[in-house]
Amino acid sequence: MILKLVISEWEPSLIHSHQGDTKEGCRDKRSAETLNERIMSPAPADPLEYKPLDGGWGWMVVIGAHISIGFAYATPKVLSIFFNEIQQDLGSSFSEIALISSIMLAAMYAGGPVSSAMVNRFGSRPIVMLGGLLCGVSMITASFGTSIIYLYFCIGVIGGCGLSLNLNASLIIISKYFLKRRPLANGLAMAGSPVFLCVLAPFNQYLLVNFGWRGSLLILGGLMLHCCVAGALMRPVPLPCKPPSYALEKTVEEQPNSGNTKLKKRFVKNAKKFLDFSLFKDRGFVIYLIGSIMFIFGAYAPIVFLSAYAKSQGVEEYSAAYLLSIMGFVDMFVRPGTGLIANSKLVRPRIQYFFSFALVFNGTCHLLCPLIKSYAFLVVYAVFFGIGFGMVFALIFECLMDLMGSQRFPRAVGLVTIIECFPMLLGPPAAGLLVDVYHDYKYLFLMCGSVILTGGLFLFVMNIYNYHMLDKERQKQVRASEVEMKLTPQAGTGQTEPEAKERNVALRDPENTETTD
Amino acid sequence: MERELCLSVCVIQLWMESATRKLQGDTRAASLLQLKGEGGGLVVLLHDAASRETRKRSSERPAHRGDRGIIIMSAIRKQLSFQILLLFISCRNINTKTLGATAPPLDPTAPLQKLERSYVLKGDSHTEKVELLNPVSLVLMCTWTGSQNKPTNITGFWSKDGKEIENSRVTVQLENKQYNLKRTFSIASEADLGSYSCDFGGEAKINFVLAVPQMGDERDKPIVSYLGDSVVVPCKLDDSKPTPNTWNWYRANETGKEQIIAGQKFSIKNDEKKTKLVIHDLTADDSGLYYCGAVYGVGITMGRVELKVISFFEPLKPFIAILVEVIILVAAILLYEKSRSKKDYTAAGNGATDQTNTLSSGENNGPEESSSMRQRKV
Repeated sequence: MILKLVISEWEPSLIHSHQGDTKEGCRDKRSAETLNERIMSPAPADPLEYKPLDGGWGWMVVIGAHISIGFAYATPKVLSIFFNEIQQDLGSSFSEIALISSIMLAAMYAGGPVSSAMVNRFGSRPIVMLGGLLCGVSMITASFGTSIIYLYFCIGVIGGCGLSLNLNASLIIISKYFLKRRPLANGLAMAGSPVFLCVLAPFNQYLLVNFGWRGSLLILGGLMLHCCVAGALMRPVPLPCKPPSYALEKTVEEQPNSGNTKLKKRFVKNAKKFLDFSLFKDRGFVIYLIGSIMFIFGAYAPIVFLSAYAKSQGVEEYSAAYLLSIMGFVDMFVRPGTGLIANSKLVRPRIQYFFSFALVFNGTCHLLCPLIKSYAFLVVYAVFFGIGFGMVFALIFECLMDLMGSQRFPRAVGLVTIIECFPMLLGPPAAGLLVDVYHDYKYLFLMCGSVILTGGLFLFVMNIYNYHMLDKERQKQVRASEVEMKLTPQAGTGQTEPEAKERNVALRDPENTETTD
Repeated sequence: MERELCLSVCVIQLWMESATRKLQGDTRAASLLQLKGEGGGLVVLLHDAASRETRKRSSERPAHRGDRGIIIMSAIRKQLSFQILLLFISCRNINTKTLGATAPPLDPTAPLQKLERSYVLKGDSHTEKVELLNPVSLVLMCTWTGSQNKPTNITGFWSKDGKEIENSRVTVQLENKQYNLKRTFSIASEADLGSYSCDFGGEAKINFVLAVPQMGDERDKPIVSYLGDSVVVPCKLDDSKPTPNTWNWYRANETGKEQIIAGQKFSIKNDEKKTKLVIHDLTADDSGLYYCGAVYGVGITMGRVELKVISFFEPLKPFIAILVEVIILVAAILLYEKSRSKKDYTAAGNGATDQTNTLSSGENNGPEESSSMRQRKV
């Protein structure tokens, strides 16, 4: 009966919205039917949207995202295998060459907002295909390079932009395709990073020996074109029908619909909107942002300095390099595993606590490292490091999706990645400075460990507060909506608090629902 | 100086030998050497042909040795001939020694640098590495603490590269519960480098490996470059090693190594402990082994680098294969999707439009006419 009420409310609006849509826009019956079945489902993400697939073609999308994310995170790291050769041929210093990787990573993170804007405009598929093309072209042109500046531009800037398009679009499409099984999908997709790292590293060595660095870059460019294949897999989700006010707004905007200038103006507006600082008003978002900044600051330095630390403890070079491989290998299995755990009924409603636990685990691991002197214990440390690292990265975007919901996620992820650019670039040099000043690696691990641990504890405490506030707000709404004879929220069905809040707000007052444009 | 002394002694010997024809062969003299430990003192006296100083030293040293020698000479007439034969043998040794040393000593007037290396052995054997840069006069001292039973005298000898050095056998006496062997070698060229061992009666052995500083880890993987391109072939000495005088580059060919001369095709850049060979306009013939040699006073240490020159088509082939594969996959996926949507379209009339919308930019909130048309064309 309650559902019928809802539908009757929507029907007139549907008819109105149909006018503003395109010729192939959603038809009445079908959209009503779909909305109906969507609302009946236990955990709708958003009344404005459709029911996410949570399976079927979604798993192919996960494979596509896996490939995309894998290339995005692994490529800057495996390129360092070529640096020695490139350095000799071009005659530059090692720090100049290492800058290529840094530029690539910086471009990848900084391109977040633009990428999110483009995805919202065009959908994930064309963007990932474009990203794959850009990456391929960047590597191919780089193979003809004769100067270091040329390489900075080709690999660093163009390659970085391509990767940023890939990364954001993959994350966004996962948020569109999954809700119930989203942590698992996230874990599987993020597992692409260690898998590709483990595969590409020896493969790059093989290429280097057989073809030299130029031929290797050429072939690597060809491999990166597989991101286009990943993009082809990312079938766009079915078009939802929008409620009246929202659609009317849109139609007003889009009616004078001709010419490239209008397109450009709208694009600019979108771009501006995607550096949306109104997100900072969201309490959960700010908490998450602070926690993840602290994590990123301390996360990469131990990886960079682990083999150097091992060598300083008397471990020989190959065994020291082996430590990183162990870490990557463990990471590969931990990410989907964490996704599976996060998906369980016990953890899912309070996933933010699990995230803070992962950070605390990671921080503790680093704090204990200076006590380790022997190789056997270093291996144990590498294993635990891999576990902690994998747990955090499997959850890092899942938690953001959890907080923001799939509507706001594109903007949020763009903002988060561009802000994360700074701690990521500052972390390893700051750690390196500590090593230079004190001539002892233990201060590096102490710093990283303490920063991450503080971040984890901060997240934990603040999330207690946040969930408490959300509970209070929810009860207020429940009371208010009971008064107005509306739906009572369904709790504990695997949906998360902020999304339930969103849904209630939307149901109560469609006009005030947050719009994405 | 030494030669003159030697010659005069030799003359005396020959004269004496003619008088005593009973003696035959060196072996007997060798056995006499064993009996007379003091003989060593005499040998040392003459062997130290390197410099006047050392000669003085040996004569200044346990003076009683030299005295003993003289006493013996004067005391036992029968043994005189033996002693002279001894001198003869030692003289021969000196001859071989001076001739065997570098053909032209670098600077005959300048005294060679002195270097001492010693080792006290407690077990069975030990190897000690000695890095040499320039010609030196090397004194090697071996000390052995002895085994379970410590005989008063044992035979000690020196060998080079496994072969016993002639007339190096001496009887070593137990002093302060230790056996000592000491010998001076003149190391002036590459031929003098090698493994020198002092052997205590076959029971204990100390090896001294004389060599120029070695190159670090050699690259086992070849440098790959392309036809028509230019390549930089590097060679590096470990930072802990001393700086060589200069670097040479060699190309391996059928007959061995030939030196590369800088010119239009090759340019060599030396930088203390590093060197770079730049080869321009690569051709297929340029593939092969290249050797960089760090030149020290006493020898050259070699490093090896392999160069492989390939044509640009070699990486291009896998690249094109990958490109074709990617295009096929993308086309297959898109075609599959289109065929599926067509099935749905024919299956359920109106509802199918929703599916065709999947080909449009479905995720944004308001589809653009132009954009959806664009997508449909795909």
